[in-house]
Amino acid sequence: MSHLLKILALLICISVTNSVYKKKEDSLSDKVSQLTEWNNKKSVIRLTGDKFRELVKTPPKNYSVIVMLTALQSKRQCSVCKQANDEYLILANSWRYSQQFSDRLFFTMVDYDEGPDVFQSLKLNTAPVFMHFPAKGKPKKGDTMDIHRVGFAAEQIARWVQERTDIQVRVFRPPNYSGTLALALLFSLIGGLLYLKRNNLEFLYNKTSWGIGALAIIFAMTSGQMWNHIRGPPLMHKNPQTGQMHYVHASSQGQFIMETYIVMLLNTAVVVGFIMLNEAHTMKSDGRKKRIMALVGLGCVAIFFSLLLSVFRSKYQGYPYSFLFK
Amino acid sequence: MKTSSAPFGAGWLLRMSPQKQDTLLKLMILTIAAILAFSTRLFSVLQFESVIHEFDPYFNYRTTLFLAEKGFYNFHNWFDDRAWYPLGRIIGGTIYPGLMVTSAAIYNVLNFINITINVRNVCVFLAPLFASFTTVVTYLFTKELKDAGAGLVAASMLAIVPGYISRSVAGSYDNEGIAIFCMLLTYTLWVKAAKTGSLFWSVLCALAYFYMVSSWGGYVFLINLIPLHVLILMFTGRFSHRIYVAYSSVYCIGTILSMQIAFVGFQPVQSSEHMAALGVFGLCQIHAFVDYLRSKLSVEQFNLLFKSLVLISGSVMFGAAAVATAAGKISPWTGRFYSLLDPSYAKNNIPIIASVSEHQPTAWSSFYFDLQLLVFMFPVGLYYCFSKLTDANIFIIIYGVTSIYFSGVMVRLMLVLAPVMCILSGIGVSSVLNTYMKNLDVSTKKDKKQKKSDNTYPLKNEIATGVIMIMTSFLIMYTFHCTWVTSEAYSSPSIVLTARGGDNGKIIFDDFREAYYWLRQNTHYNAKIMSWWDYGYQITAIANRTVLVDNNTWNNTHISRVGQAMASTEDKAYEIMRELDVDYVLVIFGGLTGYSSDDINKFLWMVRIGGSTDRGSHIKEADYYTPQGEFRVDKDGSPILLNCLMYKMCYYRFGSVYTEGGKPTGYDRVRNTEIGNKDFELEVLEEAYTTEHWLVRIYKVKNLENRGI
Repeated sequence: MSHLLKILALLICISVTNSVYKKKEDSLSDKVSQLTEWNNKKSVIRLTGDKFRELVKTPPKNYSVIVMLTALQSKRQCSVCKQANDEYLILANSWRYSQQFSDRLFFTMVDYDEGPDVFQSLKLNTAPVFMHFPAKGKPKKGDTMDIHRVGFAAEQIARWVQERTDIQVRVFRPPNYSGTLALALLFSLIGGLLYLKRNNLEFLYNKTSWGIGALAIIFAMTSGQMWNHIRGPPLMHKNPQTGQMHYVHASSQGQFIMETYIVMLLNTAVVVGFIMLNEAHTMKSDGRKKRIMALVGLGCVAIFFSLLLSVFRSKYQGYPYSFLFK
Repeated sequence: MKTSSAPFGAGWLLRMSPQKQDTLLKLMILTIAAILAFSTRLFSVLQFESVIHEFDPYFNYRTTLFLAEKGFYNFHNWFDDRAWYPLGRIIGGTIYPGLMVTSAAIYNVLNFINITINVRNVCVFLAPLFASFTTVVTYLFTKELKDAGAGLVAASMLAIVPGYISRSVAGSYDNEGIAIFCMLLTYTLWVKAAKTGSLFWSVLCALAYFYMVSSWGGYVFLINLIPLHVLILMFTGRFSHRIYVAYSSVYCIGTILSMQIAFVGFQPVQSSEHMAALGVFGLCQIHAFVDYLRSKLSVEQFNLLFKSLVLISGSVMFGAAAVATAAGKISPWTGRFYSLLDPSYAKNNIPIIASVSEHQPTAWSSFYFDLQLLVFMFPVGLYYCFSKLTDANIFIIIYGVTSIYFSGVMVRLMLVLAPVMCILSGIGVSSVLNTYMKNLDVSTKKDKKQKKSDNTYPLKNEIATGVIMIMTSFLIMYTFHCTWVTSEAYSSPSIVLTARGGDNGKIIFDDFREAYYWLRQNTHYNAKIMSWWDYGYQITAIANRTVLVDNNTWNNTHISRVGQAMASTEDKAYEIMRELDVDYVLVIFGGLTGYSSDDINKFLWMVRIGGSTDRGSHIKEADYYTPQGEFRVDKDGSPILLNCLMYKMCYYRFGSVYTEGGKPTGYDRVRNTEIGNKDFELEVLEEAYTTEHWLVRIYKVKNLENRGI
């Protein structure tokens, strides 16, 4: 009797475990098929809080999941998130259309506004964060990508993914044709204009316009526009305590955009003064006009040079020279 | 002779004919400018002594020494086993030899006529000497462009312009010192050749170009500028037989000559930087051929032939480009293409370029600091050039506009800009002065004459006086500014440091040379010194000992190995040091004096470079930070940092030293903290020498222990 009972118990046991096992198997294949189906539609799967818990956190899993936790809505004002999202999309697309594409690895994302509970459960208060959830076990320390150190370029994420999952994703960036297109447009525009004016190409040989062009390049360069272009400084600086506006950067190491415009203006004014001095001498008109022109030119040169000098003095502490006024 | 009653000094001058007076005055002004150019560069020699500055000049000095002693062929075949141990470096084929050959030649000539000067003094004074040569060449160049008056102004401006002084003070023995002279000489001869169309000047120009190629990598600018000039002359319809002869001969002879420099080799016919010159050379031939045909054929025949030729050659070229693109030989739409159009592309996307301070873009204040008055006199000169266009003027305009663009991108190229700034400003200043000097009423006699000519207007004399006064005060300010900048900013050799003491006196830190001489006197001749690469050139040149890495950073893995040793713990580092046969380790430590560019501040680069190769992959930058991501040397610092070799070498025994009043022992004056790991002993190293101000510390690597123990 006891034997029988035992066998019965065993049988029940087996059937129960069997059914549990079966259920597990089912849920796993369900999850995989669910994810694959989504993945066929979109390379990055958007997850809500519930889906995240079901598909990413709860075992069983035989797949790795990369999650980007981010805040893309414009009210969150996270400009880094958008850049990171672009890079992440490039990587996910590279994976989606690569030959090794399989159901071992899924790229997903959780937006803060669709699943704030995910952020709370992971104790995150910044975005974007890239996390890896391995097929087995809990995420370790290295499963959160250190974007402060390596950045979030698609190549860097791919390297990190390979480190964590041993799956190599070759990043394929769609070539950027916008520069080429703009260039072609510019050339065709110039070509078209030239073609329209083909009977009157004299203006190309007009040295005044070329001269003005050359001077413009010089003024732009000597006032540091290339520096602005490469460094991207602010227009001007507002002192948070006093609310006072600063147009001139206080050290010689930096500059504001406004400041460079001022300097460009001063340089141009001095040069115009000199040109007027010359024109006053060469032009053919009566003495009065000549005198006025020469005087204005002289005034321009003297005043704007001393202004330039005082702007420079305010940048270079300890510069000993000044002219006319400080 | 009314003037015979004049005092003795002026009498002989006025007795001469006006031409002679003119020549004498020009000669005097030019001589004074040349002497000024030489002497204004001697601030550092007066403040310190006849010493070579910086790092690279020490390498140049060492190679010059070798060349002067062993001769050119040994120099050409020189395999240097004192650097990059155990790899070594082939010197002869990896440098521009012009600088060394020049100073060795000067040394030999002077010693031949029994003026006994040593190599070091030749090297120290070479750059000022060539600066005064440049002054003379500037005069000649500007004279070709405008007239002698403008030439004199330009020459005197160039003599003291800070943008050029910054790289040519006494002791800065570098390629740029002579390269600017070569560049201006080539331009002068090119303008001369283009003006005359004579083969003589063209060949001279090619020779000057050869000298330029042999001395500086910046010759690429030159070999693109001259073809650009020719191209623009073609577009403006100024192409002539003169230009044809000049350019064809300069290009052919110049290219063949430039390929004789081992370091340049076949680049002039292979690399893309030189292709513009080749293309313009081909265009020249086509242009000349078309001109020839035009002279032989009737107009209708020529038009037919011309149209069909253009059509055929155009389609052939388009087809060739398409085939080459399809075959992957050329790829026109890559990032490299954009980097040609927009130099800031490289700056933003390639970090190695961005990290070097010389490669920074130029702020407006540095333009003003280095050029002052020239910043706005340059456009004025350009305006005068535009108002009277000639072939030569077009050249200087192109030079001006291109060089200002490049110097805006990279502060280092200010050097190329400074001469053209001086030339055009010279033209501008001299034109303004020329115009208004004539308006000055010198005597009542002339006044009457002018009134007759009816070219006058009210207040003419007063305005002229005003203009001349302003110009004079501008020029005076320019000289003051230049002198101030030179003495303040550009005359300190980084090998000898100074600081202001408490009583406002000057304190001199001569620790670097002290340490190097110690090495030279107290270590075995074949001892190997390990240090970070910055100090490699100085150690080989002054201490004459073998180093592992130096400023010629050609082998990244080797540098990385040294970085790994510095970043590892003592026993790990000992393995690396045994592997590389290191006998001594040298570190720079500024914690006692407050010298901020010391090895601890450079340490993160050692970690990064050390961790960048396979063998150093266990070195992670993050391990050297505190959990908050800070780099600290005090108690809160990362324990890995506090126990690595570099830390221990810098702070050995430092924990028991008082540095500043009111602070505990071991207070680091650069990082402004009390160090975290004070009490430790070194196991595999022993302190060999520490200089007076602790700037340089040298450690001896202990031998392996005896087996019996």
